[in-house]
Order: sequence, then C-alpha cells, then structure tokens
Amino acid sequence: MSLVAEALVSQIAATEPWPENATLYQQLKGEQILLSDNAASLAVQAFLQMCNLPIKVVCRANAEYMSPSGKVPFIHVGNQVVSELGPIVQFVKAKGHSLSDGLDEVQKAEMKAYMELVNNMLLTAELYLQWCDEATVGEITHARYGSPYPWPLNHILAYQKQWEVKRKMKAIGWGNKTLDQVLEDVDQCCQALSQRLGTQPYFFNKQPTELDALVFGHLYTILTTQLTNDELSEKVKNYSNLLAFCRRIEQHFFEDRGKGSSSIRLS
Amino acid sequence: MAAPLELSCWGGGWGLPSIHSESLVVMAYAKFSGAPLKVNVIDNTWRGSRGDVPILTTEDNIVSQPAKILNFLRKQKYNADYELSAKQGADTLAYIALLEEKLLPAVLHTFWVESENYFSVTKPWFASRIPFPLSLILPGRMSKGALTRILLTRGQPPLYHLREVEAQIYRDAKECLNLLSNRLGTSQFFFGDTPSTLDAYVFGFLAPLYKVRFPKVQLQEHLKQLSNLCRFCDDILNSYFRLTLGDG
Repeated sequence: MSLVAEALVSQIAATEPWPENATLYQQLKGEQILLSDNAASLAVQAFLQMCNLPIKVVCRANAEYMSPSGKVPFIHVGNQVVSELGPIVQFVKAKGHSLSDGLDEVQKAEMKAYMELVNNMLLTAELYLQWCDEATVGEITHARYGSPYPWPLNHILAYQKQWEVKRKMKAIGWGNKTLDQVLEDVDQCCQALSQRLGTQPYFFNKQPTELDALVFGHLYTILTTQLTNDELSEKVKNYSNLLAFCRRIEQHFFEDRGKGSSSIRLS
Repeated sequence: MAAPLELSCWGGGWGLPSIHSESLVVMAYAKFSGAPLKVNVIDNTWRGSRGDVPILTTEDNIVSQPAKILNFLRKQKYNADYELSAKQGADTLAYIALLEEKLLPAVLHTFWVESENYFSVTKPWFASRIPFPLSLILPGRMSKGALTRILLTRGQPPLYHLREVEAQIYRDAKECLNLLSNRLGTSQFFFGDTPSTLDAYVFGFLAPLYKVRFPKVQLQEHLKQLSNLCRFCDDILNSYFRLTLGDG
C-alpha cells in the first residue's frame, strides 16, 4: 500500500478495540492447503494466541484470491482486511497489542534478522520442495492445489502457480539448486535457530515474540506434514531443543486454550 | 593451498576496488581471512566470461556465487570466523538474510532500475568494460534481471507494478540501515575487533552505495547520516584496500 493509505489504516485501526468476531481465512485444511501456506497460517494463529486475541479460523477454497496481496492467510477484523504476518503484526500493534515492546534496539534488530532468515531459507525451501521437486509436485502438490476446481481448471491453475514459483526461484538464484543443496540450506537454518535458542524457553528468554510464532508455524508444519519422503522433517528432528520448543508452544498456546488445532504427537 | 586462486570480477572506481557488491564481498573476505587471491578485473578484452561474476578459479575448480566461494575458501583453511561463538555464527546467517531481503532490492534499484542513475552512471561504466557488441546487450540484460528480481520478490501478483513497490523497498532499506547501525554501535567490527564474514557482506553491500556518485541519491543521503556505518566502510578501505583514489 502507499504510505498515506497505510497511515490511514493505522489510524482507523487504533480507534477500535479487537472485536469478538475476527476471522482468519485460509485454504481448505484437509484437501487443499499446501505446506508453505499452512506454515504461514499457523504462524499467524500462534501470534494471535500469544497476544491473547480471539480468532476464528475459516477455510475457503478461494482464500488466495480473496486476499488483498494474493497471499494467505489474511484476517478480517471489523471492516479491515490484512494479509501476511508482517502487516498483521503492525496492525495488531496499532490496536495496542505488541509482543516485542520489551526488547531493546539491538534485540529488535536481531529479531527482524532471524525472521528474515526463516523467510529467506525455510519458506523458500518449502516452496522449492513443493513446486520444483518433480516427485512432490506430481504426487502431492498438483492434486491438492487444484482439488476444489473442476477439470481443466485444476490443471491450469496448478501449472500457472508452478510457473510463477519457478520464475521466482530463478530470479533469486535457487533455480539451479538440487534438492540436496536445498536440504543442506534447511539444515544450516535449523542449526542457526537451534544455536540461537540454546536452552531458553523462547528466543528472547521469558516472553514469546513474533519470531517464536513464525518459527513455530514453520517447524511444526514441517514436522507434521506427510510428504513423499521424510528428509525435510528429519533435518528438523536433529535438533532436540527445536522439538522441545514446538512442543512447548503447542501445549501452552493451543492445547491449554482448548483450541485443538490437530494436536498431533511430535514423535 | 599452494594452488593459485584467481578471482574474476568487476573492477573498481570512486575509491573502491570493485563497484559490484558480490565481487566486493569476496574480495573483502579474502583480505580478512588472508587468502592469497589474484584479482583479474574484467576489461575490454574478450577473455573471461561475464556470466556469473564473481568467479573463483583454481587448478581444478571453478566456483561461482559469493556464498559458494566463501565456503570453498573456508574449506581451504582461509576462515575469518574461527573466533566466533556458535551464536555469533547463527547471527551472521540471520543478518546476511536481512541484508539480502531488505537492503539488496533497494541497492539493485538504485544501480539498475532508477533511470537517471542507470543511464548516466551504471550503464556507461559497465559498457566501457565490455567489448562491443556485447556492451550493447549485457547492461540491458543485467538491468532487466534486477527489475525482475525486485518485482518477483516484492511485487504483488498478478499485476506487478513498480511504483507501489518502490516506496516500500526504500523504506525497508532505510530501516535495515538503521538496524545495522544500531547493531554496530561503537565497535570497530560487528563481532569485536577482528572482521568476519558478516563484515565482508555488510561492506560489500554498503560501500558501493556509499561511494559511487549517483544523481538520484536518497538512500545514499540516509546512509551518510549513519556515521558509524560510514566510518566502518572507510576503516576497511583504509586498512585492507590501500588504493589510489579517482580510479575510473
């Protein structure tokens, strides 16, 4: 959005409290949603749970097209629609709720840097695996992505999305990477996250921040999604403090609140 | 280790050994880690490829892309990071990701997409170092590549418009510069007294922005206000790259 429009949205956001009927839209959970979108949606849900803001999750087949930026998830609050974790964090901040206010400048810089690391490596690796690895594309992605639509629309949309993602991969230099190199990058990223987390409960010690929500969203989804092989989740399982971290957030923010977002056992 | 290491990269100007960010990152890392690098600057002759610069050539290998080149140098025991703790190593990765996501689009835009800058500075500089007739094609292709990268990573599908994205990428870049300045504080380098990989990357991205004279300079103005980052670049230039000024 332009700067003026964004300032206006912040102004409007600040005047109203968080309503009871706020909704989060994502694709259909069982048949349609893909790994990367599920991770993003879970990250937003975790963030809102951490802020203690009620949210209802609604699944729609055309969520991607309803979203103002074309990306899921997006939230519908009052009469405003905001998509993607970054803008949602800012929107929630304008309403007076923030998880990172207690951090000093250097810590905020670190938090932003680690969030970019997750987006840069984990998210891109997920996209690569979903759309550029022929085995996964053939067996899982194509079928899932087009499932709500009749033939031939399901094929056309899937191919179009694949072409878009491949273009992006090429532009950022991932076009020539092999699957092994991508998995190595994932390993490097998980190692960095594990080293940063250390033995603390959350990344910035006692209180969770949006970084914890983002990392949880991605790692939990990777651990609990069935793919053609287990290599991706094996990379994450190598780091026991990351597993404990996911379990802790799942227990604290999802099970305890009675919101069973498929509390699958982390083996 | 005895094999000579040769680096092909773009040349320098305005007091810098190279005005190409990625080449500069590799050159800085080589200086920090003590790797003996023979630098072959790309010039007007047909010799040498211009495709994937910078490129490191040894007797048996050809390595391209800064990340891979740095890995290769580390395997050859030229490691600038051995004094870092595990957490600092993790921080390095995170900050590099921050640079690539937030700062790089704006740097690409300043060099390759902003028409005044591109036509009066960037294109003539690169064209003068590429033999005819490639000089007519290659700069245009690099510019197109930069624009595509910006739009695909920041633009909103399905209509990728540059206008909407421009304001956002400059805002992100200024925020990134502020974050780097906060992180650096008053230290000489990002992790204490010796330079490391992160210093090489920050130097590689910031120095061209700092030194190259452009007509349209909003990001440069912002950078010049962050005096510790300017001091950081100048220190590295003076200590590791003692060159004569006015080169190009």
